[in-house]
Amino acid sequence: MDWLKQLGRRIGMLLHRRQFRADLEQEMQLHVDLRQKQQGELGMPQDEAGFAARRRFGNPTLIKEKSQMTWGWSWLESLAQDVLYGVRAMLRSPGLTIVALLSLALGIGANTAIFTFMDAVMLRSLPVKDPSKLVVLGSGEADGITDAFAATDLYSYPFYRQMQQRNQVFSDVAAIFSMTNDVHGFVSERSEAEPMKIQLVSGTYFQLLGVHALMGRTIAENDDNSEGNHPVAVVSYAWWTRSLARDPGVLNQNLRIGSTAFSIVGVAPPEFFGTKVGESPDIWIPLSMVQAVPPHWSGYKDNSYESLLIMGRLNPGTSVEQASTNVNLVFQQIYRQLLGTSPDGPDTQKNRELLAKRHIQITPMATGISDLRSELSAPLKLLMIVVALVLLIACANIANLLLARSTARARELAVRQALGAGRMRIVRQLLTESLTLALAGGALGIAFAAVANRLLLRMVSGAETLPLDVSLNTNLLLFTLGVTLFTAALFGTIPALRATRLQLTDSLKDGRGASGNAAKSPLARALVISQVAFSLVLLVGAGLFLRTIVNLNNVETGFNKQNVLVLQADESSAGYKEDDPRLIPLRQQIEQRLSALPGVSAASYSAFTFNEGSWNGTIYVQGYDNNKDVDVNHNVIGNDYFRAMQIPLLAGRGFGPQDTATSPKVAVISEHMARTLFPAGSPIGRHYGNGGQQHANDIEVIGVAKDVKFQDLAESATPLDYYPYTQTPGYIHDLDVRYTGDLGSISSAVQKTIHSIDRNLPINHVITLDEQVTLSTRSSILIAQLSTFFGLLAVFLSSIGIYGLMSYVVSRRTNEIGIRMALGADRSVIRWQVMREIVLLVGVGIAIGIPVTLASARLVTSMLFGLHGTDPLNLLEAISLLLSVAALAGYLPARQASRVDPMVALRYE
Amino acid sequence: MNRDEIPPGTLYLLILKTLARQGELHGYEIADSIQRTSDDVLQVEEGSLYPALQRMLIKGWVTAKWGTTAGNRRARYYRLTEGGRKQLALEVSQFERVVGAIARVIQTA
Repeated sequence: MDWLKQLGRRIGMLLHRRQFRADLEQEMQLHVDLRQKQQGELGMPQDEAGFAARRRFGNPTLIKEKSQMTWGWSWLESLAQDVLYGVRAMLRSPGLTIVALLSLALGIGANTAIFTFMDAVMLRSLPVKDPSKLVVLGSGEADGITDAFAATDLYSYPFYRQMQQRNQVFSDVAAIFSMTNDVHGFVSERSEAEPMKIQLVSGTYFQLLGVHALMGRTIAENDDNSEGNHPVAVVSYAWWTRSLARDPGVLNQNLRIGSTAFSIVGVAPPEFFGTKVGESPDIWIPLSMVQAVPPHWSGYKDNSYESLLIMGRLNPGTSVEQASTNVNLVFQQIYRQLLGTSPDGPDTQKNRELLAKRHIQITPMATGISDLRSELSAPLKLLMIVVALVLLIACANIANLLLARSTARARELAVRQALGAGRMRIVRQLLTESLTLALAGGALGIAFAAVANRLLLRMVSGAETLPLDVSLNTNLLLFTLGVTLFTAALFGTIPALRATRLQLTDSLKDGRGASGNAAKSPLARALVISQVAFSLVLLVGAGLFLRTIVNLNNVETGFNKQNVLVLQADESSAGYKEDDPRLIPLRQQIEQRLSALPGVSAASYSAFTFNEGSWNGTIYVQGYDNNKDVDVNHNVIGNDYFRAMQIPLLAGRGFGPQDTATSPKVAVISEHMARTLFPAGSPIGRHYGNGGQQHANDIEVIGVAKDVKFQDLAESATPLDYYPYTQTPGYIHDLDVRYTGDLGSISSAVQKTIHSIDRNLPINHVITLDEQVTLSTRSSILIAQLSTFFGLLAVFLSSIGIYGLMSYVVSRRTNEIGIRMALGADRSVIRWQVMREIVLLVGVGIAIGIPVTLASARLVTSMLFGLHGTDPLNLLEAISLLLSVAALAGYLPARQASRVDPMVALRYE
Repeated sequence: MNRDEIPPGTLYLLILKTLARQGELHGYEIADSIQRTSDDVLQVEEGSLYPALQRMLIKGWVTAKWGTTAGNRRARYYRLTEGGRKQLALEVSQFERVVGAIARVIQTA
């Protein structure tokens, strides 16, 4: 603790250093005075006594300095001096400073912003107990429900219980439903339904994570020990804030969801958002209540209802490999017992072979599980590289500016060295100046990043803002500080070292020798060349991604995306059971009433519209050999779907009133499906079977529709069939309304009409089809917009670099140019000389950039659509853009050179 | 009169001892006292007292407060702390060990 007290005293001295200096001075003065008096009393004459006293005292300046050095702050004082000096130097050339600061702020800010997203999506650990011990069985990215035998990404509830009991590697095992239930429910006595995102979890979930309730309790194991009788819920802090305004009486409230009232038993802590990054549930409910929560999934006791993700906490000292061995052993044991217990696992040769091949991969989940991650990680990594390049270009610019300035300061530095300043002292001075500049730029960059983060979040989000925490935190500030120091070292070191390696006498003479050397300055040229090369890479990339967007926009979707309103009506939350007989007349009534609205030409229900996931599986076509390899997407639709979407029917008919629940089963198939599965003759009137009932052959093809894009714009034609909702039980949500006229008034008329038919039917996701199509390409749009922005920024920075270098060169060569002109050189010749140099610089940069570009284009192939990374037209355009901008940047200094007045130039020095 | 420089490293010891003997002193009095007590043999470059005193303030061996001299001038008076007393004991024993050792070397001739 001694050093702490000492530090305290030192800091006290620093804070009151004026006082301390004055004290010391006074005390020393007293000393000298007393000594003088004493000498005088011994009989010495007055002036001699004073001289003797001072001699005995020693050099007061030196003593003061020594005393102050004992405080230990001299380094800080000289630093402060350097900083002040640097700031004054920067303020002397405000133009240069502003350019440097802005490019630094943009460069550092962009790096911080992109890194924030990488951190939020890919790097940050879950805010739970010891997240590094958590693993998920399978990839953790699957969601849905499957009945495939022995699936390895999704698991049944009975399997979870077996795994929990039999494994020897986990201290805790928990399960969550692989999808959230997006329902509309009521809070206590409120009459307005509110959207709620519900995550079903096993009773062990919170215990596994070591998350304790902020208020009340979390869900416990005895909430999950019998099905259907544990109506309890834990709410998130965000939901508690949003919906209940942090009402302290939250634990007395309940939630009416479906037909069940759930008591709120606890509030989760503020930092806890669940275990999926980019998906924050509002409410957690035990899996025992799975059937009570719309859309009323089941599977609590069903071995073949595989819909859960299973996660475990590794025992201390257990490795992922050991866990994998044990988990796979238990997996095999569980399923071998199931074999033969029909209907879950018929003991067939096929199932035995399947089981032998199955292997569960164990994935660490310290950073949580996320579908978003696989979607965003490639774009984010790419953008990180892009912004790093931009920062490098900015650094090159600043290095160049500093280089030019330090040459201009050569005289000042030479004087200082001549007066005895050490080389290291001057290097330190220059580096301090660079650091000051970088830190100022970094601070601006953080402000810039804070704004950019909000913008970026909107760009990566779909219709709803993604629940990602992209606020700045300590880690990010450290990252920014690191980047800032790195940039300062990058752009500050070389100019500083060069500036101090002078021929003193030359510089002092302000001779032509020094300036002549500087004018050649190969380092400055190398910096400009590398800027041009990097800019080319970024420009070509921007061009590729822009063209990708254009190509995606021009994709033939098969439907007319203009003038269609898409909205979702949540039947499951409105109290309808999945096979409710009231559903079909309800839908028909809604479709009829909507079609009758003025401005609406067609309205129809559909299970899927575009980019909304899929229901897919095998079908059985008699006489077709490879049935088990065919994966068909299914859509369930109303009678007017093809009219609402304007999907042309190529043969046969669409669905009509004659297709009812009791009439023979019918389907419309896509062109591609007709071609591949019914190659011979017309498919109309042919039969096939859907899915599991292998030998059913009960569906009649009544029509063929044109191919459409179903899941995304980049997909190639897939087999797709349509069933009428009258013959296919289950919830369907989408309503597609083709309209003309004003979207706003149509939208409100549509919603009013639906509510006049069923007041309780919650409506959400109101969007146009055009927007929905655009949203499906949002990561491509994100890449295209940002890479274009940064590409142009890079070119802009490079042109500043070129302009700066050339005007500097011209100003240093005024003298030479003057002589040439006095000797009769033409102005155009002078201009051309300068331009030639620029073209040469840019040419070399491009020549270096081309192979780099072509090599890196390969890395982005998977993100492109409709063109190759090596697209020659794109490359050519980038080069010509770069050349013309460079020419423009060089034209000004060239003109300036040609306007040199020989007489002025010769008298210049 | 022949005057000797004080041996290096003993300045703290001399200041500490002087303060221990005399209680509160200002800078000039300390220098004066050292010279007088050593019968004018030990000569301090008087100014070098002050950096030493600053360091001792930081170390916490002495405290200082302002007062008035007999001649009615403001002066900073230094006083030993508990830590300073310990340090004095330490330095004294160190010094004696060294001097003793040197003495033994000289006498063994």
